[in-house]
Amino acid sequence: MAEAATEMVKLTIDGVPVEVPKGTLLVEAAKKIKQEIPVYCYHTKLGPAGLCRVCLVEVEGMPKLQIGCNTPVADGMVVHTRNEKVESGRSMILELLLVNHPLDCPICDKGGECDLQDYAMAYGRGASDVADPKQSKPKGVDLGPTIVLDEERCVVCQRCVRFDDIIAGERQLVVKDRGHNDIIATSTGDPYRHNFTGNVTELCPVGALTSKTYRFKSRPWDLNRTETSCTQCAVGCRQFADVRYGTLVRTMSVENDDAISDGWLCDRGRYNIGYLGAPERLTQPLYKQNGQFVQIGWDDAFALWAKAINDARAAGKAVGALGGGRLFNEEAYLLGYVMRALGVKNLDWRTGRQLQASPGANASYEALENASSIVIAGDIAELAPVLWLRIIKAVTRKGARLVRVGACGAAPGFAHTDVTNAGEAAQAVAAEGGVAIVWDGADLALGAALAATFASRSPLAYIASEQSNARGAEAMGLLPTDGGADFTKIAADAANGAYGVLALFGANPLRNAPNAETMRGALQATPFTVVSELFMTESAQAATLVLPAKSAFEKSGTVIDIAGDLLPVNASLQAPVGALSDLEMLIGLAQQFDLALPTSEELDAAVIARAAKPLAAALGEARYATSEPLAPSSSRSIWDGGGTCAHDDRIATLRREPVKVGA
Amino acid sequence: MPVTKVLTAGIGEADLRDISVYRARGGYKQWERAVRDLKPADVMEACDKSGLRGRGGAGFPTGRKWSFLPNNGKPRYMVCNCDEAEPGTFKDHMLLEETPHLVLEGILLGAYGIGCTHAYIYIRGEFKRGYQIFQKAIDDARAAGLLGKNILGTGLDIEVTAHRGAGAYICGEETGLLNSLEGKRGEPRLKPPFPAIAGLYGMPTVVNNVETLAYLVPILEKGADWFASVGTERSKGYKIVSVSGHVQKPGNYEVPIGTTVREIIEIAGGLRPGRTFAAVQPGGQSSACIFEEHLDYPYDYESMAKAGSMLGSGAFTVFDDTTDWVKAALNSVRFYAHESCGQCTPCREGGHWLERVLHRFVEGRGLRSDLEMIRRVSGTITGLNLCALGDSIEPFLKSVVNRFPEQFEARVMQELTPA
Ligand SMILES: Cc1cc2nc3c(=O)[nH]c(=O)nc-3n(C[C@H](O)[C@H](O)[C@H](O)COP(=O)(O)O)c2cc1C
Ligand code: SF4
Ligand code: SF4
Ligand code: SF4
Ligand code: FES
Repeated sequence: MAEAATEMVKLTIDGVPVEVPKGTLLVEAAKKIKQEIPVYCYHTKLGPAGLCRVCLVEVEGMPKLQIGCNTPVADGMVVHTRNEKVESGRSMILELLLVNHPLDCPICDKGGECDLQDYAMAYGRGASDVADPKQSKPKGVDLGPTIVLDEERCVVCQRCVRFDDIIAGERQLVVKDRGHNDIIATSTGDPYRHNFTGNVTELCPVGALTSKTYRFKSRPWDLNRTETSCTQCAVGCRQFADVRYGTLVRTMSVENDDAISDGWLCDRGRYNIGYLGAPERLTQPLYKQNGQFVQIGWDDAFALWAKAINDARAAGKAVGALGGGRLFNEEAYLLGYVMRALGVKNLDWRTGRQLQASPGANASYEALENASSIVIAGDIAELAPVLWLRIIKAVTRKGARLVRVGACGAAPGFAHTDVTNAGEAAQAVAAEGGVAIVWDGADLALGAALAATFASRSPLAYIASEQSNARGAEAMGLLPTDGGADFTKIAADAANGAYGVLALFGANPLRNAPNAETMRGALQATPFTVVSELFMTESAQAATLVLPAKSAFEKSGTVIDIAGDLLPVNASLQAPVGALSDLEMLIGLAQQFDLALPTSEELDAAVIARAAKPLAAALGEARYATSEPLAPSSSRSIWDGGGTCAHDDRIATLRREPVKVGA
Repeated sequence: MPVTKVLTAGIGEADLRDISVYRARGGYKQWERAVRDLKPADVMEACDKSGLRGRGGAGFPTGRKWSFLPNNGKPRYMVCNCDEAEPGTFKDHMLLEETPHLVLEGILLGAYGIGCTHAYIYIRGEFKRGYQIFQKAIDDARAAGLLGKNILGTGLDIEVTAHRGAGAYICGEETGLLNSLEGKRGEPRLKPPFPAIAGLYGMPTVVNNVETLAYLVPILEKGADWFASVGTERSKGYKIVSVSGHVQKPGNYEVPIGTTVREIIEIAGGLRPGRTFAAVQPGGQSSACIFEEHLDYPYDYESMAKAGSMLGSGAFTVFDDTTDWVKAALNSVRFYAHESCGQCTPCREGGHWLERVLHRFVEGRGLRSDLEMIRRVSGTITGLNLCALGDSIEPFLKSVVNRFPEQFEARVMQELTPA
């Protein structure tokens, strides 16, 4: 972007010269020299609020102490963050914050990672003159399905309130009452509930807002932290996975993840972890004999699978594999590699409504924020939750115009225009500036119409995938490219008895495919069906061989997000004994045929090469069409998907509204 | 006696609420003249040259305040502050109820001066009667073609909306007021940006006190020089002083600025027989007390600052020797603890803490260490707050603890000695 060179300003902080762009706030400038100015209410993503007053600094020439969070730098400014005057003001603030604070650190989840503890130790007076009883306020308040509020611990920094307004656009949280009686509550008294509530537990500098999933579970120093990417949808937010003695107890956002998550997580990404330790996880291969599953060993499983493939070939029956939109790139690549090596061309990652995952040219999430007009088609808010936060930012804070084409789910609470087709969308967008299209990849005709209509404006294009790594699966070649059958044809032919073996990877079409009935027929009519799964899903139940799979937290690999970035996923958790990754399963199968496999270096190189090349396709391109037309649907919830949510009782209460399965 | 009736002229003598009575006494002449013959810049210049300073509390020069408005083509707002909730201040609602057309004329002149086409007056919710009177004044002035569209046929449009507050003392702080006026929670905004840059609905805004705007009328009538000739070097004109407390005739008295503290007490009838003078709180609940040695100070902004206090809103509370200073201190601190919006730490926690401690003192359960704590904490929290309310908790308390320490010490609990 051609912008005028930013004007730089020179100042001194604690005697150290600093040079920063004009307009920089002192809190940010001090970070340049690694000098900490403590903050409670200020947050890089929320901006200054001037409430807590802990960020006091002295600016020479100004009689009063200034707040570092709302004082911009000026040329020649001389700032002190550590002198006696500052220390006395700051320690007074900390002393005041503790006047009514319950100091129940021993039973507070925040203990060990609490800014009040840390600053009180670092900058506090270390003694108290309080001779009166502390004010008592409600504790253990059930704020909503995700969060418990301890009002006594609140320092009224209003980060939660501001997040709810500025970032989530919800305005559910407010400060009620006033003065020392003020409390955090929802304005209506209804439960605090939307797709992003968990973020306030991280923003809360103290233990006032805690997640129900993590309450009383751990101390931070007992946690083993792994930085990874969320694989619960295709946005790919960076996240920390915190494991305590073999159990994933929480996931946390990565504050400086500006490129992907902007520092946030949605509630699914944060809270849908209960399934990992669910007792009904599959841990042994299951083989169906006389209508009953029996437990078998992995060697037998591979042998049976290989034999079925050989039998099918001998009988002139077809072999096919479906799914892959939830596999890692390495697994998707190997799936295509092994199948093609076995002469199988009937491959398709698609098993749902989405028919296309790659928009042809990459555009970053950050670029989306700066579009003047954003055209969406599909329930983007639920498909790509944290990307939706960028759309909120673009519209409510950067003045972008939002145009919704066709059925796009619940109407947002901010300005937008609803239209029914691409032509109307063209009328509704701003006449000037960049256009971004975010489409759900379902209705190909609509995708093509949007591409054609906006071609002259060179739009940024994004496809918000239903499955977390649909783009990766597509890039890795899990498409019926060389004359194979697409998934609707595979299903139809298999239902007519044309297939000998059908394998499903990370897919549960009987639950949520638009052609679920045909798929059911296909699984029934095919003599040998293999399903790799975490749980005994509807599709697994219909299979001949069920292979227990590792979850995304239990294996390492890469995925491709909506913007085309190649993201690492790092194993943070031990898988249950007996489960294998899909990669390991494919290797096991390949060994049955003595197939030469790529080395891990070759695999990585192949993945990187394919990920780097966006598929040369336009939105709605014909080659992604299917033989059978499918009804695109756009109403969904972030809690839809492969069905892992079904294995955590709490999740039912987190859903914003009842979700019709397969609707 | 130097009582000089300028704004208060006619009050109690004629029914100034009647627009024809007001007009018969020369009312709306300045407005007519401004609309027909003066440019906005003329009004602004008169305001500036008169030396008029804000009568709402801070005493900021009104002309300077107006001059901060940027010329950026955005709509500008004039907001008149009639929240008047500070204990001891009772001049604005008197003007509102007794001479509403003068207040309205002042608002119109101010709005015209800054180039505003929609002015607001924020009236404290409890002033229901004042609101009704003022709303009638607006209606009558509209019927007379003095406001609304095409004023007096000149093509000028200025609307005035009276808004009833629903809030608290903090809605008198100008940015708390703007939030409340916008329908938000009445809590002060972080500054900068100041209202002149981003005020009501994010637009350039001036917030002025009722009395401030009302003085525009006599300033235009008699000239800026007339106003500037009265008063002291940097404090010009007249001031309505709301005298209360231990005097024989409490009430609003309009005096030339610079009248001495002693004279003001005398104007209000002096002390009751047999009592002796102890202190005056000269600028509202947020000001420190001044004492005998200050009795001959002129009542102006600079001298009150020199005496360690301030002129503030002109609420002048007199205390005699019967005062229980511990109770008075609790009363004052309790007010601020109760009215704190709770946004910022020092005000929210500090006020409440001091209140609890003083409460114990009143009950005779003070601790010796409390006295040090009161001095230490009250001395530190001022200046650390988001708005001036938090800086108002301490001045009165500190001034009386320092002046009358024996009253506080007498309430310290007997130390328990181990048997
Ligand atoms: C807590 C608090 C309460 C206030 N209440 C009032 C009020 O009731 N009326 C008023 O005119 N100014 C009040 N002020 C002062 C206003 O913030 C503002 O300075 C004033 O309205 C500006 O008008 P002026 O320049 O004409 O004085 C208050 C200030 C604070 C900090
Ligand atoms: S609950 Fe936490 S985030 Fe919200 S205002 Fe209180 S301390 Fe701040
Ligand atoms: S938006 Fe998607 S990637 Fe981000 S946290 Fe939610 S589920 Fe995970
Ligand atoms: S000083 Fe008091 S009233 Fe003012 S913003 Fe802070 S808490 Fe609110
Ligand atoms: S961080 Fe600056 S006031 Fe809270």
